[in-house]
Amino acid sequence: MPKKLKEVLADAGVSMENEAGGHAPKSLTDREVKMAPHPRVEKLRDVFMQTLSSANNEFPYWYTREYFQHDNEIPVVRRAMALKAAFSHSTPVIFPGELLVMHKAPFFRGSFPMPWLSEGFYMAKEDELYQDALKRGATSVDEHSKFGQGGGNVVKSFGKVVSIAGKFGMRQEEVPGLLEVARMWVGKSVDDLGHKYEQMVPGYETKEAIMRNVVCMFDSGFTLPQGREVINYFYPLSLGFDGIINLAKEMKAKVAGRADGDGLTGMNRLYNYEAVILATEGLQAWVRNYAKEARRLESIEKDAVQKAEYKGIAERLEWLEHNSPRTFIEAFQMIETMHLAVLNEDAISGMSPGRIAQILFPWFDQDIKAGRITEDEVIELLELDRVVKTSIDCFASMGVVGGVLSGNTFNTVSCGGLQKNGNHACNRLEYLLLEAGMRNVMPQSTLAVLYDEKLPEDYLLLATECIKTGGGYPAFMNNQVGMEFLKHHYGPEGMDIEDARAWAIGGCLETSGCTWKPITLNGTTYWIPGGAGQPTSVGVHFISMPKVLELTLWDGVDQRTGERVFKAHGKKLATFDELWAQYKLYWQEAVHVLDLTNNIQHDVWRKNNMAVINSYMKPDCLDKGHLINELGYRYNATYNVESAGTITTINSMAALKKIVYDDKKVSLDEYRVALKDNFGFKTAKEVNSFSLADQEKREDGPGKWDKLHFMALQAPKYGNDDAYVDNILLDWENFFCKDCYNYESLNAKPLYACQISVSTHGAMGSATIATADGRLAGTTFADASMSAFPGTDRNGPYALLNSASIWDHSMSQNSQLNIKIHPTAIQGEEGARKLLDLTRAYMRKGGFHVQYNIVDSKVLKDAQKNPQNYRDLMVRVAGFTQYWVEIGKPVQDELIARTEYEGV
Amino acid sequence: MELMHHRDCRNFAAVDVAKGICHRTKNMVPADGDQCEECVATPKCKGCRNFTADKVRVELGVCEASTATPKFFAYPDMVALTCEMFREQ
Ligand code: SF4
Repeated sequence: MPKKLKEVLADAGVSMENEAGGHAPKSLTDREVKMAPHPRVEKLRDVFMQTLSSANNEFPYWYTREYFQHDNEIPVVRRAMALKAAFSHSTPVIFPGELLVMHKAPFFRGSFPMPWLSEGFYMAKEDELYQDALKRGATSVDEHSKFGQGGGNVVKSFGKVVSIAGKFGMRQEEVPGLLEVARMWVGKSVDDLGHKYEQMVPGYETKEAIMRNVVCMFDSGFTLPQGREVINYFYPLSLGFDGIINLAKEMKAKVAGRADGDGLTGMNRLYNYEAVILATEGLQAWVRNYAKEARRLESIEKDAVQKAEYKGIAERLEWLEHNSPRTFIEAFQMIETMHLAVLNEDAISGMSPGRIAQILFPWFDQDIKAGRITEDEVIELLELDRVVKTSIDCFASMGVVGGVLSGNTFNTVSCGGLQKNGNHACNRLEYLLLEAGMRNVMPQSTLAVLYDEKLPEDYLLLATECIKTGGGYPAFMNNQVGMEFLKHHYGPEGMDIEDARAWAIGGCLETSGCTWKPITLNGTTYWIPGGAGQPTSVGVHFISMPKVLELTLWDGVDQRTGERVFKAHGKKLATFDELWAQYKLYWQEAVHVLDLTNNIQHDVWRKNNMAVINSYMKPDCLDKGHLINELGYRYNATYNVESAGTITTINSMAALKKIVYDDKKVSLDEYRVALKDNFGFKTAKEVNSFSLADQEKREDGPGKWDKLHFMALQAPKYGNDDAYVDNILLDWENFFCKDCYNYESLNAKPLYACQISVSTHGAMGSATIATADGRLAGTTFADASMSAFPGTDRNGPYALLNSASIWDHSMSQNSQLNIKIHPTAIQGEEGARKLLDLTRAYMRKGGFHVQYNIVDSKVLKDAQKNPQNYRDLMVRVAGFTQYWVEIGKPVQDELIARTEYEGV
Repeated sequence: MELMHHRDCRNFAAVDVAKGICHRTKNMVPADGDQCEECVATPKCKGCRNFTADKVRVELGVCEASTATPKFFAYPDMVALTCEMFREQ
């Protein structure tokens, strides 16, 4: 039996146990807080638990049929016509017990492909198109991505159901139609057209090599062109659909034939308003079809209560087809409708509803005062919203949905924060929102508390109680740090302190620019926040920092594939400074070429596939008459550079500095041989475990590298308040965050840093050989950007916080710190307070984000062995919560391995 | 129109590709399970007078109501509830 790394180290007297600060009880420990949802919610949740991710061809069929009827139409109008046809023909489906209705596709958990973005990946593998995608590296990451094998994932075909990308099920009867539609987009999709033009970028071969070798995770232009932003519900809530159409008609009359001083895009306003009208008419038809279905169900229903509920649904939808909402439940239905509408308009992951307790407050406030609704009924609706949001799937490739997103769609709700006037924003509905999150523990919407010193203590303690449910939410984001980032980055576009206060999280933890709009309801005016910025899912996504280090050490050649990625630098790397400097040069080369090619893809998107619905909802599109493609949004500098594997790289740099350059224990050449030889271990794939501790020594490994591997593992590690390594992080952050401003997006705005891992640390780790910190080939990187590598933070959580806050987090859109804590460590009121103290300490040090996984690692191990017993087990991964069984094995292994704090 | 399975029935609300809830009984039923006596046909292209099946690729056909040249394709199993051009056979 080959020895596992943890046994090898135990022989040497070094523990690789993941327990820190004490020992967990021997028995399995469940979460402390467990509450039940309302009975109807429980029933619908049970339906969800049995539901498979399902896709069909209806929306793509009608979209394509209409689109190709209008060959010479103005692109934005043509797009809106296609959207109108697709929405108008979407089959409504309503399930018993639902109060908030409408679905993306006619299933409980439905979605559909958008071949106008990319048609290649779901074609048959032997298809020429697929082969072409392979060559371009567009699918390289798929091989390194794994979906969980359970839950709603359709991992393989069965009966008359065909599995697509290992995740979505499609009826066999639909597949020929889908392929027919897909073929019509060959050469015309954003993917294909973008590819045609991106090849004209000098150095394009480097981009291809980067994608093939998984130095970069994916092209955002044709996979997820929008998302990681905050939606804005203001116009539908205040004007209703008729109001929006009337406004667009009035504006059309004002702008028709006029350039108004803008010779380039002034005339486009007419077509844009026309598109707004067409798309809105499509939404009205969609709502109307649902209303008709509700009426039909009312007519056949025998149960009086259910019959009355269908009637209520029909009445609400009939009203909302034309008008703005009058009541809390109407307002809630309107935001659900608009949310799904936007998610159907484009492939989007991370469309965040924003601060819904503040957005819905006007209706809540007046309904409660008038006795039209009770708080209990409000909580029930908030619980139902969690079913709606968790049922949202995004149809994209295996690499993106599996490798990056772990199947999550990141409809994050932000809470807390400040009002426009600077007072805290914790209204009564904010408390109920947390309570609903505790009662109906489902992955979405995950909650993000915008932590500010002004937030009431009882609210923060309630948030801490909510964490104890083990749902992984809320996370805490630093309100002041977020505002500082926004003021700095969007200052040139006019961001002031008031708009900065409106911010919310888009996606899992992307600081997003928002604004305030006044809603007047029955004579009372309320200021509600909402998104005002372009997507932040766009830009250079994600660059693997450890892979760039590998390429630096090997003169530009990938050691897994043997392929040259960068031109040889030819340097000896004789000093640490020379190594660091060359690393940064390769980093810049990667960002440069990816920025240019990415700009082209997004430019193709905005010319032919621009957002209409999402766009007109955001200020100031309807005012200006310009949509997203003509910079109608208030904030347009949203393209970013995303990094992955920060801490694995920082630890590796520290190990090289210590062992090679400072202590001169081994030469760099010898170190390279050891890395290439994986320190004498098998690969993670051979072992089928992706956590470091479980790696096995090769039988032929005579222990040649044991000493060096031991030194590498013992070298200074981030997360222990050790300046030797933390200063390398400081240096990196000061370089990275500022360097992003050297690149320009297609909107002629500078880029900025975004530091989250989502699930890329699994897929990218899988494609990377051993690293100098002692991590072995194919194992995951450290998660997030501020989390310690599993088991290496030995000095307690406060030391970790000190390491993480060594740099100025307001230079970056975000940073991410995940901490795993055993449930017994935060038990009772005292435990809750300790957790709040820990959070507060980090926020006061200037940390941007911290989130907690309150779970017993032994439970996770048991769940890996017996997944059938854990269908509803949820874990916080990185910025999001997901069902354990829907997460791929690499990330599961990494979650088990994370340091588990037994005390705070 | 030949009616065979729950998924062809108007009372069937598809939970996913494999099963759905029957609005009559409120039970979860398999999509491919046999119809019951309460079954009401869901309109689909295959039951539309505008639909001409392809003689070779039977899973596809043509929508004769299409104004495109050549006429746009349709497929037999597509639900036609929202198609304003549907004409029952
Ligand atoms: S008219 Fe409608 S239902 Fe009839 S074949 Fe054409 S698309 Fe199908």
